[in-house]
Amino acid sequence: MNNKAKIQTCTLGELMIYQIALSIEDGILAFHGFGSPLVQLALHLAKRTHAPRLVLVAGATYGVNPTPPFLTPTTNDFAMNRGAECHLNIEELFDLAASGRMGRMFLSGLQIDKWGNMNVTRVEKNGKLTLKLPGGGGGCNLSCDTDRVTIWTAAHRAPPDEQGRRRYRLVERRDFVTSMGHRTAEGMHRSRMPFRGQGPDCIITDLGIFEFNSDGHAQLRAIYPDTSVELVAENTEFDFPVAENLTTADLPEVEMIEFIRRLDPMKIHQRELSPADRERTFPLDGV
Amino acid sequence: MYTQDDKRCTLGDLVTHVQSGDCVAIGGGLSWREPMAAIRELIRQDIKGLKLVGSAHGIDVDLLCGAGVVAVSAESYVGFEQDFGMAINYRRACEAGLVKVEDNCCYTLVQQLRAAISGLPFMPIRSVQGTDFIQLHPEFKTMTCPFTGDQLVLVPALKPDVAILHAHYADQHGNLHIEGPPVADILFAKASAKVIVTVEEIIPHEELAQKGVTIPYFYVTAISEVPYGAHPTSCYPHYAYDREHTANYYQAAKHGADGFRENYLNPFIFGCKDNDTYIEAIGGKAKLACLEQWEESVEQWIQLYE
Repeated sequence: MNNKAKIQTCTLGELMIYQIALSIEDGILAFHGFGSPLVQLALHLAKRTHAPRLVLVAGATYGVNPTPPFLTPTTNDFAMNRGAECHLNIEELFDLAASGRMGRMFLSGLQIDKWGNMNVTRVEKNGKLTLKLPGGGGGCNLSCDTDRVTIWTAAHRAPPDEQGRRRYRLVERRDFVTSMGHRTAEGMHRSRMPFRGQGPDCIITDLGIFEFNSDGHAQLRAIYPDTSVELVAENTEFDFPVAENLTTADLPEVEMIEFIRRLDPMKIHQRELSPADRERTFPLDGV
Repeated sequence: MYTQDDKRCTLGDLVTHVQSGDCVAIGGGLSWREPMAAIRELIRQDIKGLKLVGSAHGIDVDLLCGAGVVAVSAESYVGFEQDFGMAINYRRACEAGLVKVEDNCCYTLVQQLRAAISGLPFMPIRSVQGTDFIQLHPEFKTMTCPFTGDQLVLVPALKPDVAILHAHYADQHGNLHIEGPPVADILFAKASAKVIVTVEEIIPHEELAQKGVTIPYFYVTAISEVPYGAHPTSCYPHYAYDREHTANYYQAAKHGADGFRENYLNPFIFGCKDNDTYIEAIGGKAKLACLEQWEESVEQWIQLYE
């Protein structure tokens, strides 16, 4: 008799990890950067479920197929590199992308526009630097070179302040393009540039999931059991089309949730979520 | 070429290879194997106006910014990830205009270093066009490839004045052995005019050769034995990352430039004449034992992060 309480709900973090995992194809080489626990967990979940032949390259250590004993809050850490089958060095990792052999990368931004361009470099007011962000690491290069990019953010929700102003994450106009989406600020499509990669194919957020239509414009593809198209629209600065077959995103299975909780005993991934979002849970079907 | 037989020197002498205004590449990455003892000594020696180049960094660059040592940052990332968040001193210095922001990207940096290593004026890349790094770096040029007709971006050779590294082992000739991810250290060593290195331990050449030479001696200008020289970043397998100390550092940084000086720079840098007194200030043998025992059990390892 299993004396552990049976899992009956999943958290928002676990839903997002599962949805990021679903964006990962089997048999490709995929790489995560630093400061991205939701993505790290998604890669390990994908490898242990639908993508066993995934070549999983860990950010910062460049270890291949590691089996970390637990998730740490720091990416370049021996724990995250434990059990790696082999190692790449920095030039080899980026060469693999430049030569068209990196299948997927994961990028985020403080500002994400409708074409999937993102800013993690600087926020300006009247041309003056007002907020220096940490910077994009290799994201600029990889947004051009990697075949496909999964965009994620756990801060889509933009509640109004006392004056009713919202600080959007999904913005009409970003202050700086750190990583390239489907079109430049002038509207030029990325196919006009000699990139290996095809650009982002999804944005997975705390409110729903976008795909990109043939124009390269973000289009809402799925909502969550506790969100709606209206809620997503209210929290998004740009107007967006909604897919004809809009769905409610699937929830992870119990075994997947158990795996995530084992690998992240300190709940590091919840640090990406707002305190309110950490409380959001969804009842699982059939339990 | 650095061919002298014995490159050992004190930490104080090691750092005299850095001049105010130099372009400096700092080894390691994020919370892993940063040359922190050398950085503290740079601050004590009142070196100013450095231009920093690198990939993903954290407390090393933040501390140099907090001490007013940096004039230009061309790093690709400076932060404390999901552990603590944004780099407060770095932000403050950039936003106040004290540090000029020239952010770069990892592969661009790699190609610039490779151009220097290969003795070429530039390397071509496909990426970066379409982004605002092109405006931020007017030195990047574009050209039409004579073979394919593609428009490529040319990034110029980057030859830092000095690379500052921390390695596990060296022999007295300057051969280095690094365990675990070398990050960009090997590229930095090969591209830079001078390479100065702190190491956990200097060992006989035969022992070092058995472990394997990560960086050959002739790239290396000078070495200094500084045990725990990466603290508070990790130098696995010798010791883990000191999260507790880093949390205190981060709290001090929150108290403004003056508060940071009073609560961190004074007690841990200006108040410590050398690395031994620093080690006492951070908790001495008891603290070190705690960081060295990370491998005893997974539970004990996890505790270091809580």
